[in-house]
Amino acid sequence: MNSILDPALLDPALQALRTQLEAAAAAFAGDSAHLGALLRAMIEDVQRATAEPVEVFPVKHHSPASALHMLRRLRARAPKVIYMEGCEDLNASLAGLHHCRFPVALQAFAPEAPAFPADWTPLNVVLPLTEFSAEYQAIAYCLQNPGTTLVFVDRSVDHVFQWMPKGGPPPGEDAGEADDGGDESEAEETAGEGEGEGASTGNTGNLHGGAVGLQIGDMQPTFGDFLDVLLRNAKVRHYSEWWTQYVEGPTLSCDYGTYRQVFFLVGSLLRRIGITEKDRVADCERERYMWTRIREHMKAHKIDPREAMYVCGAIHAVSPIPEFGSKGAAWTVPAKTPTQWFYGVVPSSYAAIERQFSLPAGEVSIAQSMWDKGLQALELKPFKIEAEKKAEGEGKPTVRKKGAAAPSAASVSSAAVEVPAAVSGSGLREFLTRPPTFVAADDEQLMRWCVDVVRLARKHGYNASTADTIAILHTSTLLARLRDRPHPSPYDFQDAAVTCLEKDRVPGRRDVRRLCQILLGGDRLGRVGYESLPPLAQDVYDRLAVLGVNLKSSRIERALLDIQGRPELLPASDLLWRLRYLGAGVRPIMGERTLGHKPKQESWDIEIGKHQGSLIQLGYEGLTIEQVLEKRLKAKAFEATSRAAKALEAAEDSVLYLRSGRLTRELGLRATELLRAELGGNDAPEIFQRVRGLVHYYRTLGMPDWIKDFVSTGYRHYATLLPTAFTDRGTAPRQLAAMLAFIFTQEALAFSMGCERSQLLIAVAQAEPEDPPKIALRWAAQWILGQRSEDEIRADFQHLLHSPMLLPVFPEYMAGFLLALEFTPRISRLAVEFLSRAFAALPDEVLVPWLPKLVVTLRPLGPGVMQTLVKEAGLAFPRELSKLPAWEFSWDRSVPVAPPPAPKARSEAKPAAKATSAAPAVERSPAELAVATLLRAEPATLDALAGLLGVPPTWAPLAPAAEASAATTSAEPDETSDTSEAAEPASVAETPLARLLAAHPDALQALAARLQALA
Amino acid sequence: MAKKISTPATTDSVPAPAPATSETKLRMPAEEKYAAELAYLASVDKDPRPFAWRLSPRMIRTFVLGAGPGDSFDRPIAQKFFGDASLVERAIVTLASDRGLLLIGDPGTGKSWLAELLAAATSGNSTHVVQGTAGTTEDHIKYSWNVAMVIASGQSRESMIPSPIMTAMQRGEMGRFEELTRCGSDVQDALISILSEKYITIPELRGDESVVYAKPGFNMIATANSRDRGVNELSTALKRRFNFVTIPIVTNKKSEKEIVLFRTRELMARHTITVDVPPTMLDILLQTFADLREATANTTSEDQRLESSLSTAEQIGVLEDALLHSNFFGDKALQPGTLARSLVGTLVRRVPEDVSILNKFWHATAAETEGVKKRKKGEEAATSAAPKGEKSPELEAFVAGGKQALSSFK
Repeated sequence: MNSILDPALLDPALQALRTQLEAAAAAFAGDSAHLGALLRAMIEDVQRATAEPVEVFPVKHHSPASALHMLRRLRARAPKVIYMEGCEDLNASLAGLHHCRFPVALQAFAPEAPAFPADWTPLNVVLPLTEFSAEYQAIAYCLQNPGTTLVFVDRSVDHVFQWMPKGGPPPGEDAGEADDGGDESEAEETAGEGEGEGASTGNTGNLHGGAVGLQIGDMQPTFGDFLDVLLRNAKVRHYSEWWTQYVEGPTLSCDYGTYRQVFFLVGSLLRRIGITEKDRVADCERERYMWTRIREHMKAHKIDPREAMYVCGAIHAVSPIPEFGSKGAAWTVPAKTPTQWFYGVVPSSYAAIERQFSLPAGEVSIAQSMWDKGLQALELKPFKIEAEKKAEGEGKPTVRKKGAAAPSAASVSSAAVEVPAAVSGSGLREFLTRPPTFVAADDEQLMRWCVDVVRLARKHGYNASTADTIAILHTSTLLARLRDRPHPSPYDFQDAAVTCLEKDRVPGRRDVRRLCQILLGGDRLGRVGYESLPPLAQDVYDRLAVLGVNLKSSRIERALLDIQGRPELLPASDLLWRLRYLGAGVRPIMGERTLGHKPKQESWDIEIGKHQGSLIQLGYEGLTIEQVLEKRLKAKAFEATSRAAKALEAAEDSVLYLRSGRLTRELGLRATELLRAELGGNDAPEIFQRVRGLVHYYRTLGMPDWIKDFVSTGYRHYATLLPTAFTDRGTAPRQLAAMLAFIFTQEALAFSMGCERSQLLIAVAQAEPEDPPKIALRWAAQWILGQRSEDEIRADFQHLLHSPMLLPVFPEYMAGFLLALEFTPRISRLAVEFLSRAFAALPDEVLVPWLPKLVVTLRPLGPGVMQTLVKEAGLAFPRELSKLPAWEFSWDRSVPVAPPPAPKARSEAKPAAKATSAAPAVERSPAELAVATLLRAEPATLDALAGLLGVPPTWAPLAPAAEASAATTSAEPDETSDTSEAAEPASVAETPLARLLAAHPDALQALAARLQALA
Repeated sequence: MAKKISTPATTDSVPAPAPATSETKLRMPAEEKYAAELAYLASVDKDPRPFAWRLSPRMIRTFVLGAGPGDSFDRPIAQKFFGDASLVERAIVTLASDRGLLLIGDPGTGKSWLAELLAAATSGNSTHVVQGTAGTTEDHIKYSWNVAMVIASGQSRESMIPSPIMTAMQRGEMGRFEELTRCGSDVQDALISILSEKYITIPELRGDESVVYAKPGFNMIATANSRDRGVNELSTALKRRFNFVTIPIVTNKKSEKEIVLFRTRELMARHTITVDVPPTMLDILLQTFADLREATANTTSEDQRLESSLSTAEQIGVLEDALLHSNFFGDKALQPGTLARSLVGTLVRRVPEDVSILNKFWHATAAETEGVKKRKKGEEAATSAAPKGEKSPELEAFVAGGKQALSSFK
């Protein structure tokens, strides 16, 4: 059967065709042997497929011709079983097709799949169905007539993923957009389209999301060169156009036998030279699978091959594999992975189908218009999947009616339908030898299109008029003639409309091509009926019914909830918030949900009709929204990489959306557990904010134990971390401030849980910060703990302002100090004081760059802090102009001017000052001593310098104790040797030279360095 | 063939020119260059021809887009315009209809070339051209007077100087209008009556002489630059009389490669230089342009864009420049450094701005491009068996050459 056929067995008509083709090959091709072999093989393919006892019905996806022939074939004689290409486990979702408005897609979904690479999950497969496809007609027929069974026989969804290359990108990602380096045919197609518009896919194009798309009867050539040649010779722009013109149109009206043979032939052509080797191998695998399943089913149910029908893509119908046919070789089906799959129906749309399978935009609507036209011309009534109730009511009558209708249908479509199994090859030969016939001209339709598109264009702001109607009609006829078509096709019409109407491209305006698509049917959004929805979605519909908006609408519906007036709306509001959290097509316009907020009025934009798919997908995860939400929150908190802040967020969300004490407690305890294990204070700001909010919220309701637990854990934990956090450069001052804030603001609660302050005291005492902001933070903490008085802090800052070395870092100290505002508003008076002083004292080159930073520091502290600061400032400054002359700062009044550098402050500031070596050193290093000696040996330079400055040159004796004044290695000539360090600044301040030198130490330093180098 | 018609009709009897060759004319118009092809196509053309066209629409399509083996012609018909076939079809059909054809596109997309081909194929004469500039007046579109003759013998048809468009009307041939939007709106509007009434009245003359009617076969092909479309917006009345066909920038790598090679070969043939562009160099050039386009598309402000439109014509210019340079001053073979220098030299138009843009691109993208190349190399290795090992040194030389050229700008 599968081997090369004996010519004698061949159908005489096919034999004749074959001879003729061979002659043609010999006449035209340079290398006739190859071409002849190819043509012969193609004829053999046709013969084999025709001879198969199981009636092979070749189809192409969304092909009206296939659908019409399927319709007529089924009306004529019912098979006992229909095997169909399509994932075998999708059988499960067929039941959901009642109550749907097409296009919808059968879906298989696996939220988690450990057997596959992690970045593939969730696995999602869609199989879109349109009304004008052969598969839909067959499914509809089988659903109506229980006498015929429908069996999907293709590899299961699981195998789809199993057979995908593992190393590649996540599947489904490349489905939509063709990547630049990818498939040549795809690139070609987008280039052709690119002229029109890139993003014309409308707003429903992304409906399938990242799902992997499957289709029954995929016949897209994937071999680029073949496609190029085909398109070029046929003078068409893309494959779909070629198909419509040369296969679809002619087969629409021919008899069934010819239809089959033509499809076999085209399928054979594509299979042999039109697709890449990779695809061919994958196809073989699938065909093996399908035939194995068919044989198994036939054996199990004792079905005669003659009573079965096999619906598959024309490419698969002509498969040369040994497993082909009802008597083919055996094959073992590979095992599935243990992945658990959910099945359902999701809405689809024409735009989504086009995007998924990279069809040119508008392709599906053109197919639909052909289907409608075909139905009208043949006076056929299509099968429809209808609601079960109706089907039951009409079940018997349909059968009877069918019986009555069958003869008439048969008479219409002539005897060819009667003998489907044994068609002669004469049809094919005739078909190929006569010039291509096209669908009858429909001038009226064309005229209507021309008029309508002009009207539509005018509505969309084009300057179109009747003159344009005439021009479009004229141009489309001319175009059709140029392209060898007796009658303009929709593509010609589109081109003509674009040529005549499109003048400028105005952004935001629909372009003419898009208008034509709208005219030809436009995008259509499918809808899954209520009865077919998963329980979760039904539940949502039920509970939102109280809002009184049309949930089935594909447009945005606005819902207004006056909860105060109608408290019964509160549950609906809750549900909407939950849906929003899960991202299922609702959007609040007014209203908020925060801890402790009592909703009064809310308004929502509801788009559930359009985002039905996401709601259905939620349905795979649980029975109610609440259950799904709980699952999500738990997953968030309990995943291995979760952090305390995340778990706490989940807990807060559970309070907001679920009001379930049990769940909140569980999540809260998890947060406590995570906090205990945390090493750094990275999340401290977030945790602090959340805990503060939660504690505040619970204060009125009574603290649950978990929050108390969390606070006490946090107190201990952060107190332990403090010493490290103070010194560790990896902890930002903001994080440190948040830790301190946590400790100080939640202290009362923590004490009630048995924490003790001594822990904190020890921790703060341990802290040895080096960064200015952290030092300031420590001062503030010490002040709160009573370890440092206000005056001491003031003195510290005064010192900073007075010491020229420390002046530039003053802003950093201040930044740290301001961070402390978050946990103790008491320092705001001090903060205002220091800021005022700083503005008065800081030189411009320090102050000006600091100001923007100051704003940045203050902003995250929130409006509350700013208010206290402003209030304090208001108290500190005079309120009336008249008071200004007599006014002085409150702190200037109350506190005597702080003694400049207190000893304590000196020691504090030492580390910073040390770097400059300007500070007096009590002991001299040997090198310094050498320099001093050198200077005394060669006094000329310094004497001259002193003379220049107008100071009498006097040299201090070089005694170990007396060098205080000569600390900077230059001799201070007027200096009477003072030994006491404390007295030194006073004496320094007396001479103008010393003051000058102190202000500008660099000159002397440079001098010293130079001298040292010389020495 | 073109001369046969032109001799009797012309009033200013020019002595019949010697048969055109590339020796006597620097650039031959399309109808002379492809005279043999046109004659052949006319001889095998059996389809009906609209008006007085030389070829049927289908043959014009073949002439412009070339013939494949399936068309069964006795001689090869080369593809002359590379682009979407449906675009060409729409243009041809427009010419056969009642409306004028306006080709719109970025500079260097081949508008004028397509216009010339179409005019040559329909009427065998593509030289009735009016160039639109800011200084174009209505006289250039309609007619003007030979002042000396008017003084001597008064106003008559003899003393009138017809514009190229009027000549085209009188002969029933294609009139061309280059850069329509460059001239003022009032001047543009002179076309309205030509396109709708298809005649020009000459009020200065009386009787039969006062109207010049267009013979069948006359139509207008105008081109407009989409970059300066705003310079002089077309009036609505004129828009209505034109069908707009937008010519996109070729972004398809494969056809762009073909165009660049085809055109460069043709240009080089003038210097009797046979072109041998190593495929890797061509790849580098195309890739660089593609990257530049991408970079330009990603910028938000006009300041960060090169002034050049980065069209295919620019690529041809770059390649031509590099080939000539290496031929006359180099060692014949095209070096990557030379190519880079030509590229930089061609693209830098405004000195501080373009240099800084290119500088940024060169340093940001060059490193990245190397990555791209490597990825591409993997892909290509699968399809073609060409050795790609030497790619990276060439690219390095290219990058280095560009940097050097950039540094020479002050």
